[in-house]
Amino acid sequence: MLNRRRVAQLIASVSAVTAMGGTHGAKAQDKIVKIGADLSLTGADAQGAARVKNAITMAIDAANGAHAVPGYTFELMVLDDGTPTTGQYDPAQAATNARKMVSDSLVVAAIGPQMSGAGKAMAPILSQGGLATITPSSTNPDISNPKFAAQYRPAGKPIYFRTVTTDAYQGPNMANFFAEVLKVKKVYVLDDSGAFGVGVADSFEAQARKKEIEVLGRDRLDPKAADYTAILTKIKSLAPDAFYYGGVSQAGVKLAKQAYDIVPTMIKGGPDGMTSADLLTGAGFPAVEGWYTTIAAPHLVEDTKAQEFVKTFKSLFGTAPDDYSITAYDAALVVIDAVKRVAATGKPVTREAVTDAFLTAKVSTIQGVISFDANGDLADRTVSVFHIQKDPSKPLDDVSAQYKYLQVAPQS
Amino acid sequence: MTLTDLLVQQTINGLSLGAMYALLALGFTLVYGILELINFSHFNVFMVGSFVALWMLQQFGLSGQEIVLAGLPLVGVLLAALIVTMLVSGGIGVAIERLCLRPLRNVKGPAAMITTIGVSYILFNIVLLTVGADSKNYPNPLPPIRYHLGGAVLDLRVILIWIVATVLMVGLYFFVQRSRIGKAMRATAQDAEAARMMGVEVDKVIIMAFFLGSALAGAGGMIFGLYYNFTSFLIGFSAGLRAFTAAVLGGIGNVPGAMVGGILIGLIEAMSAQFLATAWTDVIIFSILVLVLVFKPSGLFGRIAPTKS
Repeated sequence: MLNRRRVAQLIASVSAVTAMGGTHGAKAQDKIVKIGADLSLTGADAQGAARVKNAITMAIDAANGAHAVPGYTFELMVLDDGTPTTGQYDPAQAATNARKMVSDSLVVAAIGPQMSGAGKAMAPILSQGGLATITPSSTNPDISNPKFAAQYRPAGKPIYFRTVTTDAYQGPNMANFFAEVLKVKKVYVLDDSGAFGVGVADSFEAQARKKEIEVLGRDRLDPKAADYTAILTKIKSLAPDAFYYGGVSQAGVKLAKQAYDIVPTMIKGGPDGMTSADLLTGAGFPAVEGWYTTIAAPHLVEDTKAQEFVKTFKSLFGTAPDDYSITAYDAALVVIDAVKRVAATGKPVTREAVTDAFLTAKVSTIQGVISFDANGDLADRTVSVFHIQKDPSKPLDDVSAQYKYLQVAPQS
Repeated sequence: MTLTDLLVQQTINGLSLGAMYALLALGFTLVYGILELINFSHFNVFMVGSFVALWMLQQFGLSGQEIVLAGLPLVGVLLAALIVTMLVSGGIGVAIERLCLRPLRNVKGPAAMITTIGVSYILFNIVLLTVGADSKNYPNPLPPIRYHLGGAVLDLRVILIWIVATVLMVGLYFFVQRSRIGKAMRATAQDAEAARMMGVEVDKVIIMAFFLGSALAGAGGMIFGLYYNFTSFLIGFSAGLRAFTAAVLGGIGNVPGAMVGGILIGLIEAMSAQFLATAWTDVIIFSILVLVLVFKPSGLFGRIAPTKS
């Protein structure tokens, strides 16, 4: 029997369905194409992951709303590669997620992962499944390097595309910045023992040596340990002009905190893993003040071209986007464009067709026209340098307010 | 920095770490001494303690690094936070014993130990799901006073940690040695059956061991937060495993042994980062664990464990 509460529930659910129909506009006969997304939603990088997810959702919803590809409706399949055990991205979980995407035949393309350690675990599985992904932020160059094709793309075709450049530029260009702009003569190099951290620290170190910066030492941090005072004391005793930390925020937060106590005046630098709101909230001012960090993309959120995006993002999600929200949004635009071009030819939208469409992409996005080289790497190689400078008038966890954009890092 | 300065500085670093490990190691040792049980939930009681203290400090209006107190308000706030943290953590320890371990008291084999691992993960995930996964900024209400010993620096914060840890440990030692219930604890540790026959309320003694050990872990959690200015749901495991190594090194079940073991592990960690590489710290510490277990299973100070009849 229908009592009053049941009736109320029924009305509520009917109106919810109508409302959903309104925004998605999915016609019954529309074919579903799924886009996988692997993000690190649990753990130390959760805030960045949420922004990436929001940016992708925004692009997909807009495409569905505008019927960007007639006859097709996009559906997002978001998977989390962060686990409680690691407290950040977990390569094993990323591999599981890749299998999940590959085994769902409706998934024709993917976005992500954010982290190179996850990318290394996913790439071989995606390759064998013929599924191409576009990463908005993972920068380890090995994954797309033809030298390691046997490892990361055993099936042959490039499947790892990026809307950012790689650490083949992010590390070295920062070393150039250290040598040419900051006039650093002696440096100590640390990493966080992850695939990304080790890679970017290696490439920084190699270029630093080329620029005749003396590398006084190199050590590896355990991201789950709490105490880095001993290694920082060692660095203090060696008295370099600067230290460079390659890694993400889990170890980075603690390092920034303790470095402020032990080597407050030393120049400190890090890669995009240190350009994050997690650093601002976890370590906070005054500890983070003065860090130099990079991103492997042009700086766009203050660009006039991006203002509409920034405004919409803020109004939808209540938080400010960062540059990797833009590269994520751009990645979604590239996927939508590829599906659209395949659908326009009248051929079925398959993984293979979409991958081929990526290789011939010339998509105009917020960061400019995106095209890839034969390995899936972005043609543009801009690395941007930031300096953390406290702006008390803005929220202290707002990346766009507290990280002051300095310049494009010098290319080699 | 000269080599002497460096040694002094690394000793300071090592002692601060060691004080924390020692507080944690005591909890392992107290419970092991009485029940011959390795209590893995202890790791995350420590972690929960650091969040309880964080919450307490926030109740006093402290958040972020900006607010610095001095004099009586500082002592009052810290003491209140410490006491509440210790009571809550102690209560968690008692609840774990009462709800999860007592029903298994007479079950032979590793059931109880495995249960503590389960409880550990439950605490871990509850905190993860309620407060989130990101590192939390910890307030630092201590005035930034630093003393220079040659090239080495000694923070007021560090001195405070040493004092609190020492007071708690000495207090515990005398409690176990002098008080009536302490005597009952030692009697139970020697032979639970005989102690029961002599009128010792063994259940009460066990509850007390869990309460004291967990309260010290909570204090350790608060000290951790104040020292590193951050906490996260993850901090339990690496600190807990090192503290466990310290307890084994000192002779598990032995109260002064746990203190010395903790301090030794702290010093070893600091020195290995200086003279080898931090990447090797875990290898060194856990090699010590293996070596002690193989060559001197009773630890440096001898193990005090129930005698099996």
